[in-house]
Amino acid sequence: MKELTISCDAPGERLFVLGNEAIARGAIEAGVQVAAAYPGTPSSEILETLAGVAKELGMYVEWSTNEKVAFEVALAASICGVRAMASMKHVGVNVAHDPLMTASYIGAKGGLVLVSADDPWAWSSQNEQDNRYIAEQGYIPILEPSSVQEAKDMMADAFRLSEEFRHLFMVRSVTRIGHARSDIVLGEISKERRKGYFKKDASWLVYTPAEARRNRPLMLERFERIRKAANTLVYNQLRLADRAKLGIIACGLSYSYVLEAIKWLGIEDQVSILKIGTPHPLPKELVKRLLNSVEEILVVEELEPFVELHVKAIAGGANIPVKIHGKDLLPVIGELSTRKVTEAIARLTDTKPPVDFAKLGRLEKETAPLLPWRPPALCPGCPHRASFYAIKAAARRIARDYDKDVEPIYPGDIGCYTLAYNPPQEAVDTCICMGGSFGIANGLAHVVDAPIIAHLGDSTFFHAGIPPLINAVYNKANITMVILDNSATAMTGFQPHPGTGYTATGDETVQLKPEDIARACGVKFIEVVDPFDLKKATETIEKAIRFPGPAVIVSRRLCTMIEQREKRKRKEEVIPYYIDQDKCNIKCDACVRLLGCPAIIKQDTKTIIDSSLCTACSICAQICPYKAITQEQR
Amino acid sequence: MVKEFNILITGVGGQGVILMSELLGKSAVKDGLRVRGSEILGMAVRGGSVTSIIRIGDEVYGPLIPMGKCDALVGMEPSEALRNVTYLSKSSLVILNTAATIPFTVSLGKSKYPGLDEILRKLSQASGRVVKLDAAQLAQQAGSLLTTNIVMLGALFSSEQLPINIETIKETIQARFPAKAAPVNIKAFDLGYEACRQAL
Repeated sequence: MKELTISCDAPGERLFVLGNEAIARGAIEAGVQVAAAYPGTPSSEILETLAGVAKELGMYVEWSTNEKVAFEVALAASICGVRAMASMKHVGVNVAHDPLMTASYIGAKGGLVLVSADDPWAWSSQNEQDNRYIAEQGYIPILEPSSVQEAKDMMADAFRLSEEFRHLFMVRSVTRIGHARSDIVLGEISKERRKGYFKKDASWLVYTPAEARRNRPLMLERFERIRKAANTLVYNQLRLADRAKLGIIACGLSYSYVLEAIKWLGIEDQVSILKIGTPHPLPKELVKRLLNSVEEILVVEELEPFVELHVKAIAGGANIPVKIHGKDLLPVIGELSTRKVTEAIARLTDTKPPVDFAKLGRLEKETAPLLPWRPPALCPGCPHRASFYAIKAAARRIARDYDKDVEPIYPGDIGCYTLAYNPPQEAVDTCICMGGSFGIANGLAHVVDAPIIAHLGDSTFFHAGIPPLINAVYNKANITMVILDNSATAMTGFQPHPGTGYTATGDETVQLKPEDIARACGVKFIEVVDPFDLKKATETIEKAIRFPGPAVIVSRRLCTMIEQREKRKRKEEVIPYYIDQDKCNIKCDACVRLLGCPAIIKQDTKTIIDSSLCTACSICAQICPYKAITQEQR
Repeated sequence: MVKEFNILITGVGGQGVILMSELLGKSAVKDGLRVRGSEILGMAVRGGSVTSIIRIGDEVYGPLIPMGKCDALVGMEPSEALRNVTYLSKSSLVILNTAATIPFTVSLGKSKYPGLDEILRKLSQASGRVVKLDAAQLAQQAGSLLTTNIVMLGALFSSEQLPINIETIKETIQARFPAKAAPVNIKAFDLGYEACRQAL
């Protein structure tokens, strides 16, 4: 029997999947023909899944250079009558914000769906922003799943809804949906394939002020129709309990915590529940019915009090005298959990959870000081470790020429190399957004007198690094811009990008080089270095920093994870390094202190290299003052 | 019918924690069970802490195990098991791989690693049944250190509390690996199963 996969047309069968695979499956069932994205946790697996089946199913799937382009690619397909989607992490939507705010004026011809993967607790992000507000600002209706199954179902349905209402829809996922696992029941796969047709029509596609003013009321009309329909959508469900005093409004994933909490407290029959699958627009009639049937309301939602404020507005507008709780009992920070929801409901129902949370809290406090600090680290053999060593060595030399108190400044960016903010690298002084390193460096150059060495990765360079590079040339910012080129979007799972020479679906394409782009942008100092040649890399970076005006260094070495994988394929042996204990001066500690390589371990009275982790990058051997580190002889 | 059975797997990036939960989840679905779970990917793979959750049963809705409701904790690394101690209750089963992975912050002098005795004492305070295992040694015996996670899966099944059939998980393991690697993994599973059964 052929094993069931994500692309099998097997309605009714059950498949165990990652939430992001379920989202992709929903799009497959809807017959999506165009999908575009830029990688970002927790969204990347959506497009990866689609890319894996694109050729088999006849879809066009691309990794775009950034989220703005991804959304525009999808928007264009929709304008031509083809079902299309763009997926991105929450902060990616900021990059796509510009076209997004006008997209709702355009509406949709082919079903158009934006997947926003939010990240409460910022597990792998720079902030906890709640994209329901972005959707509200742009009059974009949201479908927010409570489970992996519903994520699949909503995604499939979103394209139909988008066409029915001729309007763009957002599916809002969160980390605990996209990176949750569950069995799902598959639906039927649509085989319909449309041919795109671009009909010239300035009245809805050319946004001059006049057309904007003409289209805005049409957009508002479409949205009003969606607002009415929200009351009958299957994703919003009102369950009234007899004589219930408490009504719970649960948005998206929070619904699952509410179900567990009321079961835990044994009050399933004593509370009324409104499950919200469309936080924007809310099903106003259902909300009113609940408000009118109880004395108190608890709104359960992660992050901001988005639904809470709207519910309060509905209660106020309709003069319903009901006490509404939300963020007074539940945190605005981080993810919710069954525990947090149980405690909030217990307070309002005068019930007691069966587990002594206070005792567990004390246990947690007692245990915390015993636990070692285990931050994620640059991998053994990571070329970034070598690049940072060279950057800091070069910058220190130059800082000495300035003044003894001058510290070089290292604006950093989003990627694996952000990990270098930890010791021992401590080479990231700012990390704000994609491409922000070069942008911040531009500003610093005009207000501080210190060497400024900004760095970002190759994928980030193509994403948002080019405009600030041009800015540095144009406005004569004296900064050094280092592109840490490991030929991969490594942090998110090695997706290809314009520098890799192949596309999302594995086709060969033009391979762009950051140094060529820098040259075309008018940078006068450009050098490519190999970070594993520490001495030369350091000297070259020093020259770059001394160069008056913007300088670019491309520090190029393939990501060690890919390198090791390829070596295994080629059956090439890695011959690890070892520390000759006779030569090693245990008091020196340079390799441990300066590199922080997970393969270099201090054991009682000696330092050793874990041969199972060593990738033979040789950096420790290059910096050892006692020449005590050498490669094993085989 | 299974109402609720919660498994928490903890370890360090690179130990195969995610694979373990995939194997468990797939097997549960084959056995007709409902499965929910979640994990933190991304940052965690770079040598950081990794936890993966598998929840089986008809009365499971959320992706996270509530505090104090873990039925079985599989600790691939001692301090990472301890990090999740609040999920345990007196009736939880803890299976602990005793091999420590010391984070680089300890070598840098920025943090300390607790003694194994202390970890065991704390875990035993929270849970009535803590089984320790030298899983790496058993994996070597099976033929590859890479099968340490499969040894631990075998150990988990020896408790005979899991709602998944042992034949099903073995089938899933068999199908997951290429023909050459499958027997080594099955052997690892059996060794873990036996070692833990004796300890229980």
